[in-house]
Amino acid sequence: MATSRIPSSTLSLKQFLQRQNILGIYRNIMRTIRRVPDETDRKYLRDWARDEFKRNRNATDQDAICMMIRQANNHLEELQRSLALAMN
Amino acid sequence: MASRALHQCVRSLGRPSLWLLPTNLAVRVPPVFAAAALRPLSFTAASRKTRWLGQSYISSGVLCRQYSDLPPLTLDTIKDRVMYVLKLYDKINPERLQTSSHFMKDLGLDSLDQVEIIMAMEDEFGFEIPDAEAEKLMTPSEIVNYIADKKDVYE
Repeated sequence: MATSRIPSSTLSLKQFLQRQNILGIYRNIMRTIRRVPDETDRKYLRDWARDEFKRNRNATDQDAICMMIRQANNHLEELQRSLALAMN
Repeated sequence: MASRALHQCVRSLGRPSLWLLPTNLAVRVPPVFAAAALRPLSFTAASRKTRWLGQSYISSGVLCRQYSDLPPLTLDTIKDRVMYVLKLYDKINPERLQTSSHFMKDLGLDSLDQVEIIMAMEDEFGFEIPDAEAEKLMTPSEIVNYIADKKDVYE
């Protein structure tokens, strides 16, 4: 049986896709924050988002990760909805 | 005489792309303007009737339209702007920054920081970079090459 030459730190396909998903959510959050009118609010939201993501960077439990992804999406939707209300 | 007027019109605009006109003048004219550029031959004759089009007289008294645009990008200006934005980023040590320094391996940043850097580049250059291509840009020189590619800057 051939031994695998892939290093042990590579992600499985599911983990890789999850990582790309999370980076996409982070980017969408950043893009939505860009649309906020006030500069100090923007800075606060950016720091908050950065801290949230970095704090949970090393989580390994699949269920926790799924829940965090769902939370991030909820925050994103909330932000978009408040922006839509504030703009109109 | 018409070719001289044309040359003066075009020189006052300084647009970034190249276009060879039938009068053998190599001038920098975008395709959109080329159609208008050929018009001065008959246009100056009819100019008295169409003053409302926002014309202005340049020094030789010939009518010329004025458009506005940003100064043309060159590889050097792109590189300078990219390095300037990177130096302003608080997580990067400016002394260790070079055009070939890899964000993750040399500068010790992680993927979230890389996303932020690419978004800062989007803000600086004013156009969006899609996710699939953004995640591959890992050194400043790659970013410069990508922007030059997207903005049609050759040298």
